[in-house]
Order: sequence, then structure tokens, then C-alpha cells
Amino acid sequence: MTATEHQPPRLGAEVVSKGGARRFIAGARRLWPYYVMVAPALLWLAVFLVWPMMQGFLISFQKFGLMGSQGFIGLENYQKAFSDRTVIQAFINTVSITAGITIAGTFLPIIPAIALAEITPRPMRQGLQSVIYAPHLLGWVIIIGIWMNVMSPIGLVNSILQGLGLIDNPIPFFSHPAWGQPLVIGLTTWKDLGFHALIYYAALMTINTELIEAAAIDGANGLQRIRDVVIPHITPAIRVVFLITLLGASHTFDSAFLMLNGRTAETVRTLAIFTYERGILRFDLGIASAAGVILLVFSILLGTIAQFLPGFRPKKEA
Amino acid sequence: MLQSRGIRIASWVILIALSLTMIVPLINVVATSFTSKAGSLQPGVILWPEPFSVEGYFTLMNRMRIWLPFMNTMYVTIVGTALHVVLCAVAGYALSNENLPGRNWIVAAILFTLAIPTQTILVPLFIVFRDFGLLNTLLSLILVDLVTAFSIVLMKTYFEQVPKEIIESATMDGAGHLRLFWNFYMPLALPGVITITVFHMVTKYNLFIHPLLFISDPDKTTLQIALQSVVGGEGSTFTSDFIAPNVMMAGIVAALIPLLIFFAFFQRYLISGVTAGGVKG
Repeated sequence: MTATEHQPPRLGAEVVSKGGARRFIAGARRLWPYYVMVAPALLWLAVFLVWPMMQGFLISFQKFGLMGSQGFIGLENYQKAFSDRTVIQAFINTVSITAGITIAGTFLPIIPAIALAEITPRPMRQGLQSVIYAPHLLGWVIIIGIWMNVMSPIGLVNSILQGLGLIDNPIPFFSHPAWGQPLVIGLTTWKDLGFHALIYYAALMTINTELIEAAAIDGANGLQRIRDVVIPHITPAIRVVFLITLLGASHTFDSAFLMLNGRTAETVRTLAIFTYERGILRFDLGIASAAGVILLVFSILLGTIAQFLPGFRPKKEA
Repeated sequence: MLQSRGIRIASWVILIALSLTMIVPLINVVATSFTSKAGSLQPGVILWPEPFSVEGYFTLMNRMRIWLPFMNTMYVTIVGTALHVVLCAVAGYALSNENLPGRNWIVAAILFTLAIPTQTILVPLFIVFRDFGLLNTLLSLILVDLVTAFSIVLMKTYFEQVPKEIIESATMDGAGHLRLFWNFYMPLALPGVITITVFHMVTKYNLFIHPLLFISDPDKTTLQIALQSVVGGEGSTFTSDFIAPNVMMAGIVAALIPLLIFFAFFQRYLISGVTAGGVKG
């Protein structure tokens, strides 16, 4: 996330850099209770986040048996991981699921956001906003439960399609390899649609309506007004949603895990799921940790590259 | 806003269609949950229970004993959220002090942790919790996400908005640290506290990966995991312990109701938190 970019200039920093080390120590001594207040949080982050990450790196360079570590073996786990067919398939799945979720999850919510800004009675607007936002709060077990019911072979969707004569046999949505990825991508997009739309909606509320009026006078039609005025205005928000979605999608676990079964495993097993299956269920720590590190590096790389994508650089405000 | 009749009509159509993808599946789920076992196994569009029956809920309570994982989840949610809010609010308060030497470094270190998603460290996380002897304890689930960069940064921004003049005049009157915090900062930062509270409660209620990793004892299991075994029961058609759709959907409804009630009450904070989070990162 990009929290650093929007913060006001820090006054404290100037004081410190001007005063030098002595001033730093004097300030620190005077304000010591503040360090005590941050300490528990920092300790937690160090013990339960940074330490496991470092452990992950360490384990990935060791040979692990049932009795624990049997010494360092260099890059052997990585060689094994990169030549493992399951890992490669999991990586391909991760990339294609990430691409799907990022594209659909970034751009589709623009439509309901504009639609929300368009409709007038305010209570209606808030009501619809709440309804489309609600799935964001539901856990994946509930989401999958709901849609498994609706899309089961005897469920609502198949019954309607059969009733209309569009299909002869029910579509096995949750037990066919070809449906795996589209469902992971589709349901993730559906779940977060209202959430992302809300971010866009907040950006739309700051738009200068005079610009739209001017465009209207110039003869731009509705869609042209969206393209020329609305979209440029919300570009910073698009950038934020793009980054959130990209990073979230790259470590997809819950959704795909809950849809994973004998039939769909090949297409929905992501790298995160692989590390769970190999590391926790089969206790093959070496290769699982290596896969975990690959995933971590992959997601950090994605985040870093995304920051420098053309058109996504934040514009300097004049 | 766009002053175009066509777009206004299209907007209504899009939003109503979208809302239906939320509402229709929900009606379907509720209707299925109140249908008898035999009825729920019939193909067709169930939008009204036919024949009406509460046997799904009966099975869920008596055979699945769903209240046990529900109580575990509630315990973890309440205790975990209380600790989360205290730790993050206090840290955010300390970091809102502009004169604190090294503040920028501490904030940078906290933001760095955002680059480590849980899903990438599943194996070492399991090892660390095992080494601490935390497997199969509810404490492990309380410890999960106890501190998050998001909550600290959000609280920090709220505390920074407290007008300096108020604090200065209170200090002149001889108010100490604790009095300043409770009487002046807290009331003004309250919306921030409520925001991180409601968001964290939702997170804890929906916790899935962590109980999957840490908990194997059925007495310590949580609602989401218990629900997964009910919903995932679809595959076990061949055993005598067949779980019919009405039981599965009763489970979904039971898990959904607390969340929807919660949403109805705290909607304002859940929605304003999104826009705050979206803009700030």
C-alpha cells in the first residue's frame, strides 16, 4: 500500500536533522514513554511477522527431515522446486489468476461507482451501496457456500438454464477443471466489487461538475463525458485499486482452496496452496519454504514493477 | 452528475442487476435452509421453502454441535479485537508525536511489514507457533493479526488531527500524559477507534487460514472451519453421513446472521473506513 505518499511533511524530522545526535538523544530521553507505547506493537511485528519471514528464508536453504534440520544444502530446494511439475503448474495458475482478478477487479467496479453517483434519491443510493458492499465483509467459506448452492447441478442457475432449454445436462461448475479459474476470478471480483466501487465513488464525489457542464456545452455525449472528464479524474484511485488488487490476488489462498477438489486441483492450485499442502499436510518443509519464498519475492516484484508502470506514476501536484 | 438521460437509465439497470446477484442467491440460501432434507435434494429454483421444515437447523445444532465452534469464534473475536485496538491505538498515539526522534524510521519499519502477506509465510508461521507451543490453543488465534500496520497508521492519522492548541492549553493547566490521552485525545480519535474495532472484528470472525494451520482439536475449532466441513460435506455422498443442502445452508445462514446484524449497526464506520483506507493506502 502507499500510505507514505499522502502524509504531510514531518516537522519532527527537520528538528532532528538540524540538531544532530545530541538533540536526538535529549529528545529521546525526554520522550521515552512514547517508545514504551510503541514497543509492544513493534515486538509483535518482529516476533510474528519478520521472524517467521526470516525463518522461511533459512528453512528454504536447509534439508529438513522428521527430526528437524539436517544442515544447509544451498539452493537444492529451489532446484527441486523449479523442476517440480506441480510447482510450475501452481506458478502458472497463480499468474493467470492474478492477471484475471487484477484486470476484472480494477476496471469493472468503475461502472457501478459511476452508476451510484448518477442515481438521485439519496437513501436509494446508500441502500444500493450497502447491498453491493456487503459481500466484501463475508468470509470465503460463506461466499463459496452461497454460490455452491446457487450453481450446484440441481441449483438455481442450472435449473433455469435447463428450463430455458439452453443446456441438456447440468453444468458441473464446481467439479470441472475448466471452470476452476473463471470461478476463482469471477467470485473474487464479485466479492470486492462493492468495496472497490466505494473507493471510486469517493473519488467521484470530488469531481468538479463545472467541467462536465463545460463538456456538455461542447457537445460531448454521456460516454464521451465519462471518457474525457470522469476517468482522468479518478486515475489516482484506479492506481490505488490496481495495487491493492494485484497484491491481494498474487497470494490467493482461501477462495481457490475452498474450490479445490480432485477434479479442479490442477487449475486452481496456487503457489500459496502448494506451500500449505506440501509443508503442513505432508511436512516437506524444504521445498514448501522455497515455494513460499518464491511467492514472496514474486509479490514484492509485482508491487515494485507496478509502481513504475507508465500512466501509474503519481503526478506531481502543481 | 453526467446530465445524460441514457446513462441515468443504464445506471439504474446496472445497479439493480448487480444487487440481484447479491439478493437472489441469499433468498435461495435462506429458502433452502428452511426446506426439508428431501425437498432440498430436488432440482429446481428454490425461492420459498417447500415443504417448510427446520430439520436443517436441528441437525446443525444437535449433530454438528455448531454452537461450540461459534462460542470459540466469539471468544477469539472479542478478546482478540480488544487487545488489537489497545495495542494499535497506543502505538498510533505515540507515533503521532511529531517530535519523537526516530519516528519516521519506526513508521517505515511498520509499513515494511505490509510487504509480508500471511499466505507467503504459511510454513514458517506454523513452525514458529509450534515452537512457542501455541498449536491447538485459542490463544494462537488471538495472537494472529494482533498488530497491523493498517490499524496503527489509521490511528496515527486520527491522533495527528487533534488540534495542538487544545493539548497545549491542557498541558498549561497541568494535565499529565494519561489525562491528556484519556480526556483529550481519545474522545477526538474515537471514530478511528470504532473503525479499527469493527474492521478487526470482521477479520477475526472470518479467520480461516490460521485456524486451518494451527487448530486440529475439534473442541478448539472455529465457526469458519466447522462451516467448511459442513459445506464441503458435498463430496462425502457415499458415506452414510450424507449432509444435505438444507443443513449446509442452515450453517451459512447461522454464520451470516451475526455479520449482517453487525453490518446494519456499524455500516457507517465500515464504509467510511474503506474510503479512508483507500485514500491513505
